[in-house]
Amino acid sequence: MSWAQAALLARGLSRGWGGLCGAALRGAPFSQVAALALRGLHRSAAACSSDLSLVPSPPESQRRPVKVLEPHEELFKQAPGGERDKASFVRAVQCFGQQDVRRRGHVDFIYLALRKMREFGVQRDLAVYNLLLDVFPKEVFRPRNVFQRMFVHYPRQQECGVAVLEQMEQHGVMPDTQTEFLLTQIFGRRSYPMLKLVRMKLWLTRFKNVNPFPVPLHLPPDPVDLAKLGLRHMEPDLSARVTVYQMSLPSDPASPEEPAQPHIVGIQSPDQQAALARHNPARPIFVEGPFSLWLRDKCVYYHILRADLLPPEERDVEEVPEEWSLFYPMQLDLEYARSAWDDSEFDINEVEEGPIFAMCIAGAHDQATLAKWIQGLQETNPALARIPVVFRLAGSAGELLTSSGMEEPPPPRPESQEEEEVPQRQQQGQG
Amino acid sequence: MALVQKLLNGTYILRKCPKASAAFCPSLSFRVADYCSSSLQKSGPAAKKGSWLRKSEGGLQGRHQEEVAVDLPSPEEKPEVSFDRAIEDEVKDHFKRLKDEIVNHWIGPEGRPLHEVMMEQAKVVWQFRGKEDLDKWVVTSDKTIGGRSEVFLKMGKNNQSALLYGTLSSEAPQDGESGRSGYCAMISRIPRGFFERKKTYDWSQFNTLYLRVRGDGRPWMVNIREDTDLIQRKNQMYSYFMFTRGGPYWQNIKIPFSKFFFSNQGRVRDVQHQLLLDKISSIGFTLADKVDGPFFLEIDFIGVFTDPAHTEEFAYENSPELSPRLFK
Repeated sequence: MSWAQAALLARGLSRGWGGLCGAALRGAPFSQVAALALRGLHRSAAACSSDLSLVPSPPESQRRPVKVLEPHEELFKQAPGGERDKASFVRAVQCFGQQDVRRRGHVDFIYLALRKMREFGVQRDLAVYNLLLDVFPKEVFRPRNVFQRMFVHYPRQQECGVAVLEQMEQHGVMPDTQTEFLLTQIFGRRSYPMLKLVRMKLWLTRFKNVNPFPVPLHLPPDPVDLAKLGLRHMEPDLSARVTVYQMSLPSDPASPEEPAQPHIVGIQSPDQQAALARHNPARPIFVEGPFSLWLRDKCVYYHILRADLLPPEERDVEEVPEEWSLFYPMQLDLEYARSAWDDSEFDINEVEEGPIFAMCIAGAHDQATLAKWIQGLQETNPALARIPVVFRLAGSAGELLTSSGMEEPPPPRPESQEEEEVPQRQQQGQG
Repeated sequence: MALVQKLLNGTYILRKCPKASAAFCPSLSFRVADYCSSSLQKSGPAAKKGSWLRKSEGGLQGRHQEEVAVDLPSPEEKPEVSFDRAIEDEVKDHFKRLKDEIVNHWIGPEGRPLHEVMMEQAKVVWQFRGKEDLDKWVVTSDKTIGGRSEVFLKMGKNNQSALLYGTLSSEAPQDGESGRSGYCAMISRIPRGFFERKKTYDWSQFNTLYLRVRGDGRPWMVNIREDTDLIQRKNQMYSYFMFTRGGPYWQNIKIPFSKFFFSNQGRVRDVQHQLLLDKISSIGFTLADKVDGPFFLEIDFIGVFTDPAHTEEFAYENSPELSPRLFK
């Protein structure tokens, strides 16, 4: 224990010594220097412990509920009626600005506000970030001479500014000219927050539209709209048609025996329709699922209607007769490869799977709901009435969400030829 | 050195055999940590040894790990493990590798005739057609820093593709210093030759990375590391994004190597330069999109090819504002 005390003491001493040197450099009177050194000695332990908390922890969203209120936390508690939105957040920030002209404790306040942002749902709002930066007093932290510019001037405040920008970056918020103006006003051009801003301007613009499968920033709250969006997102064929087979209806309180009616939205392209019409009725087709699809932070589950891969001897290659068009031949057997170095094919057999005939997103993942989907599909696909449909459903989606991969893995993909792991398998011949 | 490590491995197996005691051999505990989140083991010379290692690791990771390593020996049959046997197998294996290297060098680069290698336009680097292909990969998650994400790698149901699945959790570890967490990764092992000598991939004649995958709509990051002996460069890598479409269809992703940007310790560097392809040590896929929940990614194969239409050398210019020294 004694060595720890000694270490603390030494640290305090060095702090005192540093203060001494700094004060001497600044040319302060000697009496003040002594007082500084003494204070350094006395607060050694406290300085050490507060050192840890002084390190600006990056903006934490999920913080354990702390018993003791942090400073300024009462500002965020004020909202009456529990409404937590942008207006109340802005009001809290403005309250802080009106409390004190000198903005005492603004760094703590900004860190607290950064943690609170997600709670208030304003973590993607650029105006709120600008408002937070506006809390910093202006022109105070700008370096004024060479020496201040040489070293980090007001490091705590600069770190706080960087933390604000970092949280913006995490949520993909692009800074605008007002942010830049505020930062130059607060910290000056040559400062770490400005450096961060320049980097953000460079890299966020480069990667802003890099996703080839874009998902809108604000997802529709309605599950049917979300299902339509998800189906369009998955289907590469643009001529595919989305059909709402059933709108969701809440369970009627008058007749409790009628269960709630979940929504069923399906998609099928003309090519898939044609393939289903050609399908050999002797071979069953399968409804499989649920499989997960992530649209930003929302997860929807979809089911597919597919058949097994045909054995190679049964596949009939579609021959286009040459006489179809003499002037524009549909098929050309020309040897384009000039030599061996022109071969740009991968030397591998790609995984082949059976054809997919349709996809659907339903509100419930039980067999009754999916049977309704199949019935709806029969209207546009009369051939489906002759084909036996097998349901291969792997548990409900609720289990999938909560299992966290321990009880059962997320549904393995539907490419299997062997079917011994199918949990529920019921033959349902239709028609 | 490498052999010494191997021998330590051998003793490790021996120790594991009667009873697993955690605090017996502290010098070896790093190996346990290394294997903690990995679902697969190094392809040992003796298959029995490998599976036994897997078994011991299943004990470490809980029962889910056992599900990953399917070819477990039954608990009744005791695998015979002997120290001399382990050494003998190691030595044999290394001499076999040495012989292969010499013979391959005689035939040509990578053991194929020179003209074949030079005229190659597309090459499959990693494929997943059996369990032994999984041994070339390591999976890791933020469990190593105290997080809660889980990731597992196994063969798909048709035994023709790899299925990487798990759960992402962005709950930060309660260790007092980590503020954020939540990543899962799959990294290829560095190929090793005779006497654990590092080998590298030379892709300098190709310009595009090709992946055939099927995902669930989550964005991944592809990381490529260059081979280096400098300890200062061990955290440097080149990254780009891989966006999965989601849905039941396979997806062919082509990423030109010119798009990869340079980062060090997870931070994008100001001074960017292009990825040099002559000494590639490993490739990795990272998921860290801050969305909690289950995920999966199925990989058919990973290849490189030459796209004659792609002439870009490097996609990112340096900024005079950020790195003025380059523009003096």
